Amino acid sequence: MIGPEAIANSLIAGVLLGGMFALTALGLSLVLGVLRLVNLAHGDFLVVGAYGGFYLLALTGLDPLLGLPVVAVAFALLACPIYLWLVRPLMARGVEAPMMTMFGISVVLQNVFLLAFSANTRSIETSYSARAWTLGPISIGWMYLIGFSISLVAVGAIHLLVSRTAFGRDLRASAQDPVAASIVGINVARVHTLTFALGAACAGVGGTLMGLAFSFTPASGAAYLLNSFAVVVLGGLGSVFGTLVAGIAIGVLQSLGGVVLGDGYRDAVALVVFLVVLALRPQGLMAGRR
Amino acid sequence: MTLLARITDAVVGHHRALVLGGVIGALWIAPGYLGEYGAQILFRFLIALVLAEAWNLLGGYTGLVFLGTSSGVGIGGYVLVGLLNHSNLPLAIVIALAAAAGAVLAALAAPALLRLRGLYFTVGTLALAEILRLLMINSDRLGGATGLVLDRDPPELPGLLHLATALFAVGAAAQWFVSRGHVSVLLRAIRDDEDAARQLGVRAFRVKLSVLMAAMALMAAAGSIQALKLGAIEPYGMFGLRWSVDALSMVIIGGIGSRAGPAIGTAIVVLSGEWLADYPEVHLAMTGFLLVLVMRFAPRGLVGVGSALWRRWRPGRAQTT
Repeated sequence: MIGPEAIANSLIAGVLLGGMFALTALGLSLVLGVLRLVNLAHGDFLVVGAYGGFYLLALTGLDPLLGLPVVAVAFALLACPIYLWLVRPLMARGVEAPMMTMFGISVVLQNVFLLAFSANTRSIETSYSARAWTLGPISIGWMYLIGFSISLVAVGAIHLLVSRTAFGRDLRASAQDPVAASIVGINVARVHTLTFALGAACAGVGGTLMGLAFSFTPASGAAYLLNSFAVVVLGGLGSVFGTLVAGIAIGVLQSLGGVVLGDGYRDAVALVVFLVVLALRPQGLMAGRR
Repeated sequence: MTLLARITDAVVGHHRALVLGGVIGALWIAPGYLGEYGAQILFRFLIALVLAEAWNLLGGYTGLVFLGTSSGVGIGGYVLVGLLNHSNLPLAIVIALAAAAGAVLAALAAPALLRLRGLYFTVGTLALAEILRLLMINSDRLGGATGLVLDRDPPELPGLLHLATALFAVGAAAQWFVSRGHVSVLLRAIRDDEDAARQLGVRAFRVKLSVLMAAMALMAAAGSIQALKLGAIEPYGMFGLRWSVDALSMVIIGGIGSRAGPAIGTAIVVLSGEWLADYPEVHLAMTGFLLVLVMRFAPRGLVGVGSALWRRWRPGRAQTT
């Protein structure tokens, strides 16, 4: 029998985890909404972020949390050539071609991780990663709290960027109708490049946070990708708030699923939710509530 | 029209079928002439080719980019080992049942996978493959992470090659069926503009479901023969993403939408895999890299590159163009 403390603990952990899921899913959702591109390498971008945090700490001793801005900028810069050279030339050939290119990149990244970093499971050991904050029977990992807070700030910042700035206006217009947007003078190509870079930056930061909270392997990418995609489908495209709520919902379901069914089924929970939502309400549970 | 002309017409009109029949006949007697090593490679090639052709039914003819090849292969393998261990059914029936299991899985997943087209379908098939792998790893009754062992001895290599050849013939027949006449028009209509096709009365869901079931049945049959050869299966291998990577890459690298494409892509992937047998990660990374390059620079694959070169360098044509 599972005690109430365990349930409460996993509920809280799930909510906090869900915040991080929201950030990683937002990167995927922006690219899907604006470019109509499923970035099948999104999960592997997250793994790059996790290894980035790991080696930043191992080689320079710099705390991965302090390195987050560096990670974000580096990811945005690295994403630009991938987009400009490999993805954009294919955009005119329909939605499948660029997606398959990202699949190829995903396969390359996964196997380069295996060759470069071995198949070993890694985790980023910091002074706070194993510590927990206890209040009676409730105990919350510090890393969960920190990750949740940083993700919430990042998600809020992206929300403001999309809803309040000139770039955000261009982005929304390009997402809605790229042809009309370019007619009224919006540089849609530039918006697309920047959106891809922004999506990659989300993946980098989210990946470092996930690497701090969980152990990871070179093959973690597929689970990360599908998890993010489940959040996107549940929350509907184009809604930052919906993504946040869906992220928390998936986080809670995963945590509870892990407690009730056993740890091996954690990842399966999000996948089942994903397929069920696709079967019942393919436009997303929260679509239409912008 | 003279009788002779009619006969010539009939022969020329069916020369593809004749060539294919010749190839299958040659494959049937090949085990007697190949050494052990050659037979091993031929077996790997045939299984991979069936997977590539099955993928081509979805990706090439219907426009559905599929990342769930491993779910078909895995189901087929597990059904074969389960049935052979717990029943006395003849092998041919067991393989047919494994194929049927693949088709049933496709039908069960179809409501989730086929409701939305394009991008969501692709990610849905990836999710299906992951779910099945996780279930197999975690379910102790099905062997868990260690998998299952076949109780009886697998057939000798020539027998396995005959099975693979027969399956290849079935796959080629499926390819032939969807590439001509009424069916090919239906599929092309759905691939090029599903909305317009629906307006004209094409039952898109039904057509896509049929193709998905046929493709998954072929993949499951291929997986069952693969499992029969291995004699012991485990979820990481049978449900591994590698099958999905290979199937997609072989078709895209060879050339999507052409008949020779999948065979050439399969030959490249299988032979380079043999060459890099000790470094599977290098091989996969290279395959992915080749996939990206082909997508970028040769949208019609190596067959497209080859035919473009042929057209340019064909003797006597150089001056006129």
